[in-house]
Amino acid sequence: MAFSEDSGCGYQNFNFFLAEKKSAKAVADSACSWPGAPGVKLTARRSSLDHYFPSEVLLGIAGKDFVILAASKAAMRGPTVLKAEDDKTRQLNKNTVMAFSGESGDTVQFAEYIQANAALYSMRNDTELSPAAVANFVRGELARSLRSRSPYTVNLLLGGIDPVSEKPHLYWIDYLASLAPLPYAAHGYAQYYCLSILDKHHNPNISLEEGLKLLGLCTDELKRRLPIDYKGVLVKVITKDGVQEIPFDNDKIVRSA
Amino acid sequence: MDKLVAQYSRPHQNEMYSEQEQQDLTASVPPLSLKFSLPPVDNHSAFLRAMTDDHSNPSCPIKLAHGTTTLAFRFQGGIIVCTDSRATAGNWIASQTVKKVIPVSRLSRGEDKKTDKPTPGLLGTMAGGAADCQYWLRYLSQQCTLHEIRHKRRITVAAASKILANLTYAYKGYGLSMGTMLAGMTPQEGPALYYIDSDGTRLPGNLFCVGSGQTFAYGVLDAEYKYDLTEEEALNLGRRAILAAMHRDAYSGGFINLYHVKEEGWVHHGFDDMNPIFWKTKLEKGEFSNVTSAL
Amino acid sequence: MSRRYDSRTTIFSPEGRLYQVEYALEAISHAGTALGILAKDGIVLAAERKVTSKLLEQDTSAEKLYTINDNMICAVAGMNADANILINYARQNAQRYLLTYNEDIPCEQLVRRLCDLKQGYTQHGGLRPFGVSFIYAGYDHLRQFQLYQSNPSGNYGGWKATSVGANNASAQSLLKQDYKEDCDLKEACAMAVKVLSKTMDSTKLSSEKIEFATVGKTKDGKIYHHLWTADEIDNLLREQGLAKVDDEPEAGDIK
Repeated sequence: MAFSEDSGCGYQNFNFFLAEKKSAKAVADSACSWPGAPGVKLTARRSSLDHYFPSEVLLGIAGKDFVILAASKAAMRGPTVLKAEDDKTRQLNKNTVMAFSGESGDTVQFAEYIQANAALYSMRNDTELSPAAVANFVRGELARSLRSRSPYTVNLLLGGIDPVSEKPHLYWIDYLASLAPLPYAAHGYAQYYCLSILDKHHNPNISLEEGLKLLGLCTDELKRRLPIDYKGVLVKVITKDGVQEIPFDNDKIVRSA
Repeated sequence: MDKLVAQYSRPHQNEMYSEQEQQDLTASVPPLSLKFSLPPVDNHSAFLRAMTDDHSNPSCPIKLAHGTTTLAFRFQGGIIVCTDSRATAGNWIASQTVKKVIPVSRLSRGEDKKTDKPTPGLLGTMAGGAADCQYWLRYLSQQCTLHEIRHKRRITVAAASKILANLTYAYKGYGLSMGTMLAGMTPQEGPALYYIDSDGTRLPGNLFCVGSGQTFAYGVLDAEYKYDLTEEEALNLGRRAILAAMHRDAYSGGFINLYHVKEEGWVHHGFDDMNPIFWKTKLEKGEFSNVTSAL
Repeated sequence: MSRRYDSRTTIFSPEGRLYQVEYALEAISHAGTALGILAKDGIVLAAERKVTSKLLEQDTSAEKLYTINDNMICAVAGMNADANILINYARQNAQRYLLTYNEDIPCEQLVRRLCDLKQGYTQHGGLRPFGVSFIYAGYDHLRQFQLYQSNPSGNYGGWKATSVGANNASAQSLLKQDYKEDCDLKEACAMAVKVLSKTMDSTKLSSEKIEFATVGKTKDGKIYHHLWTADEIDNLLREQGLAKVDDEPEAGDIK
């Protein structure tokens, strides 16, 4: 079903028996809005899925020598918060982390598939893939999945430090397999509230401390304006020394104007 | 029915008027005529939606002018009102020079000459259907002027907003589309700001952003807003918040239209092309670091 | 007698040898010499072109030096037909990697992939091994400039200077003698023609008889590889005093 770039001997994704994991309707929907099908615009397809899980928060900030990834801790299903300490991130190798949101099931499945492939590469070649290479690999896998019978509905932020240049990299990837390198990025409703804040307060030379302050500005605004409780964020920081989970004050009370 | 509504709806705690006074104020307003021609169908609002809603039906025959960012906030020195100037109809930019701030209630009408002096009266903002906003804010203007003539004093923002809210509520379900803010400073109220929309919502508050770009404006505004802002800080924050929305929201853009409402009336602080302002902000302050070819 | 063990690649002889592989190596030792020298700021590859007949159209393009991708080239010794297959395979792999990772393939990975293919032909029944040895010159940001050599068995290794083909033993010892750690590309080029002039049959060289290519870094840090033109080769030979006397061009030709 899926494998790394070299013709068919990579890590396999054991999803054969789960091929029916999506409802018949979802499959029918994706079939009729196949990109390139006559008369169906890609935008039409987008609008139907674009707002699938917009209340999951993913934020990414790249600074001078670090990348911060923050993901909301609420695991939601319908009207219920199933878990309030969910970790929506996976470490792919020594210097790369991926944060994900989207269709439950797809997210972890896809992230761990990427994780396994990144590990396989490291074992085979005695070198780690650079964040740029992983990002492109992920994009390729998503693009392939998008044209399959049951595509992964996963939005991603990928952050890392290039082991050679020691420069931070942050990538925004959506479930339609768009890839964009950015100095700061968000998914879901967080985009609408936080990007303008980051537009104003971010610059590429900020220190980690300033970066975390900036993240605080963003999460404060989300607490103020988002109508749902996303249960705070889990914060991972990637520096040249590796990946660290940073304690973050999620209990701060934010007052509205 | 308006009388009933006025009688039984509780005034907001922040309002300066007693129930009786409010009723007096609105009693002089003529009853809603509902003289508009309506399409010969059973369900007007469903028909209107079918004809105009281009979100679910991109090939709808009538494309309403939508999409906006407007904001207003109260601070120690009065109220800042700021808007973009873009009107869109579907994907089409219909205009880049729309005046979305509408002066309401002026004692000295017919004096459109530019002055540096404050002009007495209220300000209304326009978001949603351009026609609806223009029509009903002019209607409100008329009612406010009548109020001035009848009562020999300017209408309060609370009362004016109530007239508009009653109006939109009466037409609820007929497909009006408007989100407006009324800002003014009266001796009775001090600086007063109300949000009124076509659902019939009416809310007094310190800070509102309305339109498709509202979230972007909120982001910038919330992060640095405090009541004790100086006049200069407040003007700059308002301008910067609108710029943020114009930059990120495809349906906002054009010119930044900035007003300051003071005790003596409102002062216009320019109708300025966003582009030089954007580049100045980017190049001089290093903001908008994502606008780069370096990545 | 030895017919029992040398007709199949998959069968060891009682002495533990794979005759087909050894025959392939033997075939290569008759091919024109190719050598590579690693310098601190680049790599030079040089190869002897065997002129078999005057009547043969002297193709202007290289026949022993090939481009694999933007940052890798190779020199071939052995059967050209076999080499074409392998080079095509290498080019495809390099592009596939680029497509997947948006990054050039690390040199050793590409060499290994090629060698995995070669190895397969020493083990799976009924097939003949590839009769080609390669010298690869490349650059990647993990290990900078690199020089590799591979042979029909699927074995490969990294080298500072190496040679394959006819007389490779004497070429190898000349290289061992002359090689200086951290020589620059210019010195390496001089060494390359000197070694070639000694291992080839004719002492006086010309651009018709050798091919030359370099990998290096431009001033602004970009990696280039360059297949030398006939003029460039002749100029180098003249500088080193190895050019044929009657080949001396007229004054007007000198740039």
